[in-house]
Amino acid sequence: MKINVDMSICLMHGQCVIAAPQVFSFNDAGDLVWLTDVDDALRADVEAAADACPEQAIQIEA
Amino acid sequence: MTLTVVDDVPYLDVANPKFSIRSQEVKDARTRSWYARTTYGIAVLRYDEVQKLLRHPKLRQGSYLWPQHNGVEGKFARWWCDMLLCQEGDTHARLRRMANPAFSPKLIADLQPKFQALANRLIDQFIDRGECDFIADFTEPYATGVICDLLGLPFDRWRELADMAADMGLALGVTFKQDLPKIEAAIERLFQYAEEVVAERRANPTDDFVGMLVQANRDKAQLSDQELLDMIVLAIFGGIDTTRNQIGLAMEQFILHPAQWALLAEQPDLAKAAVEEVMRVRPTVTWVTRAATETFTFNDLEIAAGTTLHLYSQAAATDPALMPDAEVFDITAERKPHFGFGGGAHHCLGHFIARGDMTEALKLLAQRLKNPRFNGEVEWLPDSGNTGAIRMPIAFDRA
Repeated sequence: MKINVDMSICLMHGQCVIAAPQVFSFNDAGDLVWLTDVDDALRADVEAAADACPEQAIQIEA
Repeated sequence: MTLTVVDDVPYLDVANPKFSIRSQEVKDARTRSWYARTTYGIAVLRYDEVQKLLRHPKLRQGSYLWPQHNGVEGKFARWWCDMLLCQEGDTHARLRRMANPAFSPKLIADLQPKFQALANRLIDQFIDRGECDFIADFTEPYATGVICDLLGLPFDRWRELADMAADMGLALGVTFKQDLPKIEAAIERLFQYAEEVVAERRANPTDDFVGMLVQANRDKAQLSDQELLDMIVLAIFGGIDTTRNQIGLAMEQFILHPAQWALLAEQPDLAKAAVEEVMRVRPTVTWVTRAATETFTFNDLEIAAGTTLHLYSQAAATDPALMPDAEVFDITAERKPHFGFGGGAHHCLGHFIARGDMTEALKLLAQRLKNPRFNGEVEWLPDSGNTGAIRMPIAFDRA
């Protein structure tokens, strides 16, 4: 499963970090980082993250 | 930080109920400085600083200090400090993850026809009179009805729920202490109501939000008995009070800008943008609260650990330094994001629902009520904290 975050609309709320902490995180500089290719075992978490994003900036491919 | 800088910094007497977050005093302070000192700590007045501090790593959600700022203890203060908004870290993440699915954007499409039916039913009840109290006749039953739908609560007790939510909402204004007896009575009744709902759902399980919480509560480590009740009280209170106020504030803006109302009636697709524009210039949540977890320096200002920062959502998003027409109410204008739903880890949980129900309400109201105007004195909450109208008599022409 491929994950893309549209950083042109992301406002860094970090709701994805709460919903799917194994996939999304903030690095020491405070930037959002995420795994771009994730095992399907984490699909429920990633979908919850995409759902919870207030700006709807997360896209999941296949 | 030098003493000269301190002397130059504006001071705002925010705890005074007569203080207005939209006053010339606040605008002048915003021109002079990015922040002001206040009764509670620091008020942040400009867009860039609000945006940065909203998600600053040295700050946490600061509302847990609000009862303390007002010298208040009791049932409300206990609930307030323990519930989702005032929790941080693992406890916050556990509760937020649990609540998220019930407020998913995927639900909006299904809820839209319900929002429309409810709005139309309420408008039907007063349309022939050509006048109404927009709060008692529309925003209160509408905001309450939406929550009843969402939580699977019977609509016939809506008045009771709306009154409890309105009385509890007084806690988020600067007259918190003075209104405490009313607030405590309301929270007592709301907890009794939540207990009744839980008992009923334990007997008759459902798969909606409350049913899901009751299910999670079987494992007390996942959701304790107290957390279960706290969450239900939050959903009822948070959903009703804010939306009730925000739709009233929307009507005020459109009464003051009749051409915008006519435009919305002609182009219902503008309703979504109208909600955002109303929340930019006239948010019910006039400030978002943060507290410093450690001492740090921001824009050359040393902010001591424990300092409360109120981020002024309205002042920041209407700063003419940001864009020349920032103070103009225009539902067709391109705007930068507002702060009406807060931001960061505590971004409003119910914002998809709130945006959806307010969009449908404004769309239908604009089509059915022409030339709305004030028809008597509007009674307001203080113009700070969580604000809004208590009573708004309006007259209109039938479409």
